[in-house]
Amino acid sequence: MEPVNGDDRDSRIDALTNERLTARRVRVDRMFAVLLVVQWLAAIATAVFFSPYAWAGRERAIHIHVWIAVVGGGGLILLPILLAWFKPGAPITRHVIAAAQMLSSALLIHLSGGRIETHFHVFGSLAFLAFYLDWPVLVTATIIVAADHFLRGVFWPESVYGTVNAEWWRFLEHAFWVVFEDIFLIWSCALATREMRENAARQIEVEDLSEQEQLKSAALEMAMAEMSASA
Amino acid sequence: MMRARGRNFVIALAAIIWVATVLISYRSVRAFESTPGAPADARASWPANAGVERNLSGPTLVMLAHPHCSCSRASVAELAEIIARGPRNLQTVVFVFRPHDFQAGWERTAVWNAAAKLPNTRVVVDIDGAAARRFGAITSGQTFLYDRAGVLRFSGGITSARGHRGENSGRDSVIRLANTSAGFSTHSVFGCAIGGKS
Repeated sequence: MEPVNGDDRDSRIDALTNERLTARRVRVDRMFAVLLVVQWLAAIATAVFFSPYAWAGRERAIHIHVWIAVVGGGGLILLPILLAWFKPGAPITRHVIAAAQMLSSALLIHLSGGRIETHFHVFGSLAFLAFYLDWPVLVTATIIVAADHFLRGVFWPESVYGTVNAEWWRFLEHAFWVVFEDIFLIWSCALATREMRENAARQIEVEDLSEQEQLKSAALEMAMAEMSASA
Repeated sequence: MMRARGRNFVIALAAIIWVATVLISYRSVRAFESTPGAPADARASWPANAGVERNLSGPTLVMLAHPHCSCSRASVAELAEIIARGPRNLQTVVFVFRPHDFQAGWERTAVWNAAAKLPNTRVVVDIDGAAARRFGAITSGQTFLYDRAGVLRFSGGITSARGHRGENSGRDSVIRLANTSAGFSTHSVFGCAIGGKS
């Protein structure tokens, strides 16, 4: 029996871990494709419920919030859904999904008039993005949400904080809580990836032992066959 | 090969639409929400034919609103804040628009209901915007503060943008002027047109 080469074993563990990670990321891409559509419908429902029409006396017209939810929200999810469909599991897909998810948060925050409660969507989204077990995706999401808060905080504070008198540095306070969550999510991603690798190593160990057992049984059967033939 | 090329073309096109959507959405919403409605042609003193009596023991706050203007829900929410932080003898009147040929009850929306719950507040139907014209209001959410003597102290809106609640200089001015009855201030008003294009 040939001894198992250490490098060969490591590359098999890497291959099995990557295979499982890719399968998981494909599933998460599909989950987000569905979630993005659901959020889009929720944004439309929010706009239709809270501000269906703009009025001028007795006349009414579709409110711009409804158009933004339908057209803007639709355009926002088009690319991530196409990528999830055509390039599932690819790094670009999950980074675009992360950006779109954070921009969906921004849309919902806006449609709710900067309600502070809607900011919880950001934190829920980060937790969902952690399903990818790919910490750079969380960095992309954090950059998008920090940039959105910074730019809107400077030029349009009421849309994100609900007040015009927000301090310029307030985005740092929001970003701090996002980073606070990121730290634990990144840690949990690293932990889960390590566990996945350990499981792959165990599976390869079991496969190797099984192969060795099969070789042993084959050798034993052969030896017994030779013994019975010589007898 | 051709199929992969076509797929990449679709993705590139979607990427362009994606970036354009984000930029155009930001820009158009920003333009809509930060553009104020038409300012009032405010009366310097309480109109003689106001249709309601002025408070003789303290300041009177008057708001003119379109019942279906989603932005005006924020204005009424800010009104609640003013009443809570204003003087005890402050009285408020909210006129809610309704065309004469529209069914009664059309005006009973969230704006009406929220206003009706405010303390020391009367909510009055404003048929065809007659009261709005008497006070010189054009845009829903327009607020006037008259002092005890009937002198105008504030004219404008009490939200920072269309439909946005929260601290803003209009609301703060009304609270300050209601408590001091000295000076005059104005602020942009954000909302739908009460009787026509705003």
